Amino acid sequence: MNRNIQLLWNGLIPENPIFRLALSLCPAVAVTTSVKNGVLLGAAVLFVQVASSCTVTLLKSFIHPRIRIPAYVIIIATWVSVIDMVLPVVSPAAYNEVKLFVALIVVFAIIISRLELFASKEPFVPSFFDGMGMGIGFLFGLTVTSAIREFFGAGKIWEHDILGFEPLLIMILPAGGFFVIGFIMATFNWLEYKITGKIPASGGGH
Amino acid sequence: MKEIIKITFSLTVICIAAALILGAVFAKTDHARKEIKEEQDAETDRGLIGFGAGKKVPADLKIYPVYRYVIKDEKGATVLGYLLPLKDKGQALLEIDLSGKPLKAVPVQGDAVQLADRATRDKAVSDALGKGSQATYAETFNIANLGDKRLAYVIPGSSQGFKERIKLKVSLEPELTVMGVAIEESKEDPGLGDKIKEDFFRNQFVGKTHDLLKELKVIKEPLPADYLPALEPERAKKDKLTPEQVKEIKQKHLKDDIYALTGATISSRAVTVGVKDTVRRFTYRLGILNDAIKQEKIQVAF
Repeated sequence: MNRNIQLLWNGLIPENPIFRLALSLCPAVAVTTSVKNGVLLGAAVLFVQVASSCTVTLLKSFIHPRIRIPAYVIIIATWVSVIDMVLPVVSPAAYNEVKLFVALIVVFAIIISRLELFASKEPFVPSFFDGMGMGIGFLFGLTVTSAIREFFGAGKIWEHDILGFEPLLIMILPAGGFFVIGFIMATFNWLEYKITGKIPASGGGH
Repeated sequence: MKEIIKITFSLTVICIAAALILGAVFAKTDHARKEIKEEQDAETDRGLIGFGAGKKVPADLKIYPVYRYVIKDEKGATVLGYLLPLKDKGQALLEIDLSGKPLKAVPVQGDAVQLADRATRDKAVSDALGKGSQATYAETFNIANLGDKRLAYVIPGSSQGFKERIKLKVSLEPELTVMGVAIEESKEDPGLGDKIKEDFFRNQFVGKTHDLLKELKVIKEPLPADYLPALEPERAKKDKLTPEQVKEIKQKHLKDDIYALTGATISSRAVTVGVKDTVRRFTYRLGILNDAIKQEKIQVAF
């Protein structure tokens, strides 16, 4: 398989930021109460991840290894602030929906960990695809989690009433977020065990 | 030693580059952002007095902003200043002391459009007051007239929410009955406290008279199903209810307390307290302001 496609695939399933790497769980639990919120945050993260990965890979020879962390934080914060200022002008309606999450992105573990592990070592093109893969994987994770939570917690999908009542309010509460993510993680591990026959190695967690 | 210089240099350059980028983006977008914000505020105000999205605004609708200032005069005493639009196009700053006694009215330079800008207005006010006094801007409330008839008051307020302060706006009918509530800014939890922005919660305040509002509480009971069509215009349309039927439902539940949002009692309570406080303060201030205008014989535009 072409390496770039492999990188995209890697972010989506084998190293999915939420279900396999268990990174950025805190915001993932906080905003996945409805599909709309989940998708919007996912899209915002996708953009910041790709933009920061590309910036870091271009500047990697200039950033001294000893100050790489502050440099990465500044790069991410710059991109986030740029979105925060440009989006309300370009699309005020979209900004009203995402402004709650935009400022959160600065401290997302997934973004800085990809900069540290990948973009600071690899050339431009693979870094771009790694950023894309991770961003899409995060978007996918948020969408799945939020769809389950919104359906069971509020009886709705993307604010459209499906059940007409609220079956399990706990799903909307933070505890429900951990339940859902835990169950999906378990499913991922079980599938991997079924397919490869190996017991999955435990991932990190932040 | 050489390394530390390298590190410092590299980090400094990154910071300066980031600062330049942010500065440039800010300069490019600041004006447009402010304009959009103002447009959105005006839209909220129109929505609150019944001319929301899609509805035609009548030609004789006039909105007069009244700016409230807190003034420290030359003797160090605190007085309140209301910047009022006058009948003959000018503006005047009416000073009222804390016990409600009108002190004096001074003319302020500039027309309504110029004074809508905060920096220009602050300067005009402190020029009008002269040296030694210090004026601090507090808030703006709007008075809406339809022709010569008073239509509504739109008042800003705020209240401590679950995490941060909730900024809201309340519109009142001339006899101080709640006409509408809008949440301007809030950081309540998405999916839970966030629902304070939704019609079925906000519209529970509509129609509450001044006396009902005084006793208003938040109760942890599920919202009665038959109340919903009166709160959500879209549902009333879907259920094919006539305006009379909706009115009847509203009347039946008029004396109900506010039904808390499930899982977000604190947010529900915060909005309720905010609305009550805002209206209570405004009623008090409006009484004093009207008396003062009468006593000083100021010809106000509204």
